[in-house]
Amino acid sequence: MKDLKHLLYFERLLDDADNELIRKAQADGRKCVGSICYQTPEVLMDLDKTFPVRLRAPRSGSLEMSTYYLTSFLCEYSRAILERAMEGGYKFLDCMIVPDGCTMVNRCVENMELLHTIDKEGFFYRYLEVPMKADDNGLSLYVSECRTKILGALSENFGADVSDSALRDAVARHNKLCRLITEIGNFRKEDNPRITGYEFHIICMATYIAPKDMLIPLLEETLEELKTREPDPSPKYRARVVVAGSEIDDVDMIKLIEDSGALVVADRFCFGSLPGRQEIVLNDSEDVLTQICRQYLMDNQCPRHMNLEKVNGRKAYVANLVKEYKADGVIYEQMKFCDPWAYEHVTGAFDMREKYGYPVLTIDRPYAIGTSGQLRTRVQAFVESVEIKKLQGGKE
Amino acid sequence: MGKAVGSVKLGNLYSGGKVRKRREWRGLRDTLYDYWRWLKIMKMLTAFLMHPHNVKGFLRYRWMLNYVAVPAMIDKHTVGLRGNHLRIAHEEYDLVAEDVAKLLDTAFRADRACGNDTELSKKIVVLDENEMFTIMGGFPTLKGISWETAAVYVAVLLHGDAVTHYLDVIQEMGVPGDVCPMPAAEAGVVIDDDIPVFGGCVIQCNTTCDGSLMGNGIMARRYEAEGIPVFQIAAPLRHLEEGVQEYAAQEIRNAIKFIEDSTGAKWDWNNYFECMKRFNEETQHRVSWMEMSKTDYPQVIGANLALYSETTYMAIAGRVQDFVEADRKISKLAEESYARKEMLVPEYRHRAIIWGVQAQYYTDFLPWLQNCWGILPLVDMLSLVYFDKVSEDDPEQAIYDIAKLYQEMIMRNRTHGGYEVLLDDLWRFCKEFDADMVILWEHISCKALDGMHGLFEERARELGIKLVWVNHDLMDPRVIGRQAIRDDVNRYMRSVLQEEPIDPSLENLDDEHAW
Repeated sequence: MKDLKHLLYFERLLDDADNELIRKAQADGRKCVGSICYQTPEVLMDLDKTFPVRLRAPRSGSLEMSTYYLTSFLCEYSRAILERAMEGGYKFLDCMIVPDGCTMVNRCVENMELLHTIDKEGFFYRYLEVPMKADDNGLSLYVSECRTKILGALSENFGADVSDSALRDAVARHNKLCRLITEIGNFRKEDNPRITGYEFHIICMATYIAPKDMLIPLLEETLEELKTREPDPSPKYRARVVVAGSEIDDVDMIKLIEDSGALVVADRFCFGSLPGRQEIVLNDSEDVLTQICRQYLMDNQCPRHMNLEKVNGRKAYVANLVKEYKADGVIYEQMKFCDPWAYEHVTGAFDMREKYGYPVLTIDRPYAIGTSGQLRTRVQAFVESVEIKKLQGGKE
Repeated sequence: MGKAVGSVKLGNLYSGGKVRKRREWRGLRDTLYDYWRWLKIMKMLTAFLMHPHNVKGFLRYRWMLNYVAVPAMIDKHTVGLRGNHLRIAHEEYDLVAEDVAKLLDTAFRADRACGNDTELSKKIVVLDENEMFTIMGGFPTLKGISWETAAVYVAVLLHGDAVTHYLDVIQEMGVPGDVCPMPAAEAGVVIDDDIPVFGGCVIQCNTTCDGSLMGNGIMARRYEAEGIPVFQIAAPLRHLEEGVQEYAAQEIRNAIKFIEDSTGAKWDWNNYFECMKRFNEETQHRVSWMEMSKTDYPQVIGANLALYSETTYMAIAGRVQDFVEADRKISKLAEESYARKEMLVPEYRHRAIIWGVQAQYYTDFLPWLQNCWGILPLVDMLSLVYFDKVSEDDPEQAIYDIAKLYQEMIMRNRTHGGYEVLLDDLWRFCKEFDADMVILWEHISCKALDGMHGLFEERARELGIKLVWVNHDLMDPRVIGRQAIRDDVNRYMRSVLQEEPIDPSLENLDDEHAW
């Protein structure tokens, strides 16, 4: 297929945590809010004077310093973030607002704070208590935490407008971006998709790490380009897969899977679009903040949500993606040492096989996959097994 | 020989097998007392096996075999003790053993595979092993039972290798070996179909960690498959913050309503407040023991404090008068010994705070510390819980109290809530207890503790506290054995402090195969 015009630009944005769009926005007087998880609703931080970025540590090398502080038993994402922070890689941030999400990421940010890795004047940290069940009580907690620790903090420290009308504007901007990403992502449902999983991953990930308004023109242009893009007549992919699992911000991960013969048609992982890039539909009868929080709470697919509806719902969600995106199977991935996904990938894989009848590959992986031969072999073997199943018409 | 504290070379008792060469000679009076207590335990075990449903349970469940080691478990925690300290230990361990026997008896009577008493089963609320039982105080007609306590938690106390099979089972399913072995073993029991099935409903809780939370998911699916309704209390993590308390209280109200709806039982405030009066008295006793530990003559320390505290605070939660009676006896014995300035070992060299999570397969490490090196394990992290008095008469306040207790469960009150409760509090306790040393359990799969590793070291250096890392894998002695645990201390004491043990026979022990 013909190269996408802006793909290289998006790739370059992802080369650095402190990218050129962040610098430009800050030069315009906007404050950069560092975040680390889906559970701090980014739309609430994308206000008139502030914008959020989700932290990555691209091009990570040695993790020796952070391994001393966190030991080698914490996931490499948390270690890579701390290492980068200690190297001074997040000094551009103006504050950090993070949830008490998984323990490892929580400890990572606490270490960042205690080691004084960011010494900017007025810099502050806020830790959100996020509910672990999606119900009315959880929603009330979520709303109250977001009101005080996000909106309150941004208003107090940066003078951000957090009125209902400002939040509605933020939602409108968010929805515009989500519509573009959804439309772009929908091309993956085609029998012969005109966009690869890698390209989509790069585009989608860029929307988490840069001011969204600055990306809109590029995304619009990309969408238009895709509408007329001709897919390769004979695609090199031998299987279509849904990738589900923990955090993936490594540009090489999806590439490696696709280089091994599997087209990634749906991205159910942190930094992915499912969920994360869905429009927020507001009504006029209820408080805006509550409506925003409800959507984040109900859409949340994090394995730390513990009520049975969510436990079973997560599997149903993945199974539905397989159907909707016409995938041949699922790759459950878990970053090594990630406790939540250590369990979730097991129960998820079990249900996919036994309950839904889909082929599954489960893998654990480091933060930066590079060109892992081991993983490549596993994906190739999975693709072959899927192909054989297809040839046998689904018989065992 | 034998009567005085420290007069026996305790290392000579080890045989290299499951049991020791012989019982410890403690002088005539103490040996007879100890033997009499041993006979009582044997009588209790015999009585337990007189019930057909318990025999069925014994034969049905693999983990039940560990219970033949009950007498050995008490022996290993009373090693080296004399006089009142020996009596304190027996008051505690014997009562806990009796309580566990009752738990098993009820569980097997109700279990579909054993007694299959359906009426009893409907009156049982199944709880997590690491969860406060406080809520059961308001339901006097119901029984709160945790099969996890019996199958995993206690089983490993009795026999270090008790759950390695279940860890293998869950790892064969694909759960990696780096997650905490406790919830992994519990999930393994479920996968291996070694779970006794009973209960009118289940109340789970997000207890200590992500692993525990996720393991609960596997169990919840099993309960669902068995038709047993499940409710999850999602207690807030930032438990020090005022802003989360209303949410936490509502979780408790919802849980109470769920139990009422599932079982038909009604919440009983009178009974609840009776329980809380006992709970408050128990707290007062524990606090008084800790106050003694701040002086030169501590009396209730180490394993005597740790295991008993866990049981009283969390699993009993004021529901059983026998524990209050035991507390009173222990306080009386401790006060007598304190007045006489009695010592647990002949020489006190270091005063230590035990921080982190103990190796469940080596809880007698604390007696070893004092007997081998004269290191006094004054107080442990798991015993430093919520000590505020809870309401004994105000229903509105009581809901907030229960919510607070659920947030501040054992271990959870330190692994959640921010670095202040894990990192900063440690040094505060060092000061309060006049401790010069910290024995820091590095449970290698505990991400919450691991995540403060570097900062623990930095702060200890700044404050001049001797910090001894002791590595273990909680419930899997195959990863780090008991001698490896001891060697972490031995190395530090010899190479850093250049000290000699007060009982050299304990420095290297052949206990790899011991229960």
